[in-house]
Amino acid sequence: MDENILLRLRVEDLLYREADLLDLWRLEEWLALYTDDAHYHVPPSDVDGDHADPNTSLFYIVDDAVRMRERVIRLSKVGAHSEHPRSKVRHLVSNVRVRREGATIHARSSFAVWRAKDITTDVFVGHYLHELVEQDGELKIAKKTCVLDMEALRPHARISIIL
Amino acid sequence: MARIIDDPAGGRFLVPRKAFTSRDVFEKEYAAIFDRCWLYLGHASELPEPGSFVTRTVARRPMMFTRDKDGEFHALLNACPHRGALVCRERKGKSRAFMCMYHGWTFASDGHLMTLPGSSGYPEGFKTDPQKQMVHAPRLGRFGDFFFVSFAHDGEDLATYLADAGDILTLISEHSPSGMQIVGGTQEYAMRGNWKLLSENSFDGYHAATNHSTYLDYLKNTNDALGGTPLSGVARNLGNGHACVEYTAPWGRPIASWVPLWGEEGKAEIAAVYAELETRVGPERADRIAHKNRNMVIFPNLVVNDIMAITVRTFFPVEPGYMEINAWALAPREESEWRRKYRLYNFTEFLGPGGFATPDDVEAIEKCQQGYAVGGEALYNDISKGMSRPEGPAFDDEEQMRCFWREWDRRLAAAEA
Repeated sequence: MDENILLRLRVEDLLYREADLLDLWRLEEWLALYTDDAHYHVPPSDVDGDHADPNTSLFYIVDDAVRMRERVIRLSKVGAHSEHPRSKVRHLVSNVRVRREGATIHARSSFAVWRAKDITTDVFVGHYLHELVEQDGELKIAKKTCVLDMEALRPHARISIIL
Repeated sequence: MARIIDDPAGGRFLVPRKAFTSRDVFEKEYAAIFDRCWLYLGHASELPEPGSFVTRTVARRPMMFTRDKDGEFHALLNACPHRGALVCRERKGKSRAFMCMYHGWTFASDGHLMTLPGSSGYPEGFKTDPQKQMVHAPRLGRFGDFFFVSFAHDGEDLATYLADAGDILTLISEHSPSGMQIVGGTQEYAMRGNWKLLSENSFDGYHAATNHSTYLDYLKNTNDALGGTPLSGVARNLGNGHACVEYTAPWGRPIASWVPLWGEEGKAEIAAVYAELETRVGPERADRIAHKNRNMVIFPNLVVNDIMAITVRTFFPVEPGYMEINAWALAPREESEWRRKYRLYNFTEFLGPGGFATPDDVEAIEKCQQGYAVGGEALYNDISKGMSRPEGPAFDDEEQMRCFWREWDRRLAAAEA
């Protein structure tokens, strides 16, 4: 089989696993999909999210590995009121495209994420930019950028789940 | 009519919950407050050169904030005088002219009609008829680099309206020797709650310990992000419904309170920033700027929070139970890459829809709105904390909210009279 298709299948498998872990609120296992120096970013809607730099633009989320871990710790506490009781979450991932560049695999995919809780149901629509690396024969996520294909985060009020 | 109960002698301050839910109150608020008060439009740094423009909605009105070819600032109602279509449909940019896409009427950045197709169909002088020009907001005011509009033709000027809140805006502008700027990237979100809940929440010093316990835990967990300074301070009445809390806090401030997380390199840089500040504004003011945090609400809906970063936030009700919010980061122009990076990192840590704190504020605001559905016009919110404290209100009392509510009540009552 074409090498790029094989690679895409491996990447899809990882992205589906990530989506599944997030839907199941198995956040410790989600974190283990990432490298020790990973990043998780969500840029705002009024910048070019594919290229914006969180060091020069205000983002919604700029997590390094420390803050990703703290985000997971926070969400495990009842004091994270926004997600206690937990919302129902569903991640759909599709249109996965992959490209190898040196040691890094770049994956681009489409997402729709539903968050339902209490009286509200919100949909987040956009595309993921994943940067993946091989570590000990395993694919790990080094960076995930969630670019919202939305004009504003409305009527939403928060990205209290992990996109 | 929903009136507050303000009884200092009895230590009672009560706000009717109807104020958050009633459509009648909502419409009266637009007439008595949003169509009368000075409202934040934007910051000079958003329009860096002649021809720059941004579009945004202010008090339900689509607006254009522009600079003309001579660099003058204008606030235009974004509707074509011909048939009313939005003239500018872009969020921001630079343009010498704006053509309405419907029939091609074309306007300059100052709103005057430059050309219109088929002008032979109109009488002589039509093009210069005042009614065929784009309409300016009745008043545009500037305080430092902050621009405000008023949709009332009369009333106090901007500086008088701002009262002592102007001093806090000046203090914030003094963070920089070269001027402050809005950093690129806007947080644009919404909450399913009444707008006044966000005015209250933005300078509520009482809720941190419970509502934001996980944020405080996070600061303790994360490798010296927390200094030794305790949360402590006062509330200030700034006049005309504006108020702030001013307090010390344990988090790092890019102007200029160092925390161990920032390392030795950061320590040297923060020390240099502080030294420049002290030379420029003197030791007392430098200490206040660098080591005190300020959460301010300029009545009715401009929040300027000078905390672990600076946020400028404004919001408008769309419905009694739904508001739209825009928030920006404000920073010194000359700031180093290192300091800008930590400022924005600080900002997203606490503030905004993806931060470690704001989502829980949202939860509180939305749950208040839901709770009001239990109904009954006799139900009131209690805003009395610290009302009888002999030494004056502390930062975690509710005096700042009482300033807001007294002005809200005064304006609605005056409109009723």
